[in-house]
Amino acid sequence: MGVTIIQQFPMKENRTGAQIIEFLTKRVNALGAKQCGTFLVDCETYASIPQLGAQRTLHVFHNSEQPASVFAILDNGTGKTVPVVADALFDLLLLKMSSVYTSKKSKVEIRGPRFELNDFVIKIGAININHNVKGIIVEAEYRPCVVFGLCWDMLREFLQGFLGSCVSNIPPHYFQNRMNDIFQPLDTIQQYLDHITIYRKATGILQQYNTNTT
Amino acid sequence: MEAIKEAPIPAMDSLTSAMKNNIVPNQEYLLQGSVLDSAVEVLLHRLRGLCDNVDSGPETFHDHEMCFSIRSVTPQPLTLRVRRAIDYLDMPYQLRYIGQPELGDKSRPTILRNSIDVATTPTIVDFLTEMGFRMDFEYILRGYMFRKGRMKITVSKIFKMMVVGKPAPESVDPISQSYLVELSVLAPSNQDAIAEDMRVFAEQLKPLVHLEKVDYKRLTQPPL
Repeated sequence: MGVTIIQQFPMKENRTGAQIIEFLTKRVNALGAKQCGTFLVDCETYASIPQLGAQRTLHVFHNSEQPASVFAILDNGTGKTVPVVADALFDLLLLKMSSVYTSKKSKVEIRGPRFELNDFVIKIGAININHNVKGIIVEAEYRPCVVFGLCWDMLREFLQGFLGSCVSNIPPHYFQNRMNDIFQPLDTIQQYLDHITIYRKATGILQQYNTNTT
Repeated sequence: MEAIKEAPIPAMDSLTSAMKNNIVPNQEYLLQGSVLDSAVEVLLHRLRGLCDNVDSGPETFHDHEMCFSIRSVTPQPLTLRVRRAIDYLDMPYQLRYIGQPELGDKSRPTILRNSIDVATTPTIVDFLTEMGFRMDFEYILRGYMFRKGRMKITVSKIFKMMVVGKPAPESVDPISQSYLVELSVLAPSNQDAIAEDMRVFAEQLKPLVHLEKVDYKRLTQPPL
């Protein structure tokens, strides 16, 4: 368990998601990384029924890196979010809540190859919203360190080394108040949620968003 | 270097297959009874002799339980319980769903009820509150836990909390002059053989305590 950051890679109009993953795979292979299986992060979103008053949104995540856990993030509609990490049976318990929280039928899946390169883990995934590829996400983890502020500069350089200028010199927004906190698996999930929210709002190819962040 | 693994199975698919294969412990077999404070030492002594954890002695526990409910379009509210250890603050919280108890006929030795037990982070209390759940009541449980094979036996005293959310010893009051005794097993569906083991074990505790199938409906309705 180390520090993980998540980065979007711009989609190009004339390339499919699979082609971009292949292109990035060649780059990380050239660095000496070895593929170690694949990864999967999924997210299902639920909304509270109108009888409960202000609409609340519940995001439920799974990550193949922590296969025994379920991550749930509740947004109460007034700007407060509360996360919970639970055992896998939490999914069964959610079924009991189906009369008060209904699925928004907008399943998100991020899947792709997982690589290891000495102290680093690299994952390159296509983000699928309702089975449509919406973009490419690259996750990089530096395993020996658990404080973002102590390894951000190195992680940034590492990512820029194979992704190029799309990696900003400014730390991701999520970490701006968490530079010295101990990193937890939930921090990875929160970053995924930030990215998913952006992709859900955007339509078509996200060229504009990607150029703005560079 | 690790070999290339197979693609990860989506979490919902592996849960579905676990349910199909009947390996999810979602049923609780239960017998309940009570003893007066004055008789508890004798029962504890007997349990020490019968149960597995002889060398280490019984495990003590000191828990705080909160009962939450949410109302939807159906008349029956959904109730969830959150339990946390007061004596081990770094332990996960337990979130629990308990279904309607099935008493069955005389041939069934124990109560059977659906139960989903999930360990969670302490944020669960805030999480449920923001989801729209309301806390109905809370209490403190203090007692002893014994094991006998797959069976769990708890002997516990229930305290009411004089100040909401404050489980400090000076602000709790015992609810009665007795201890609650529970014999339970959490198991996957269709493991009725365990109920027979429980009946035999309950027999061995007589006449110190009579463990029975307690009918909650009869407790809430006044006798005719």
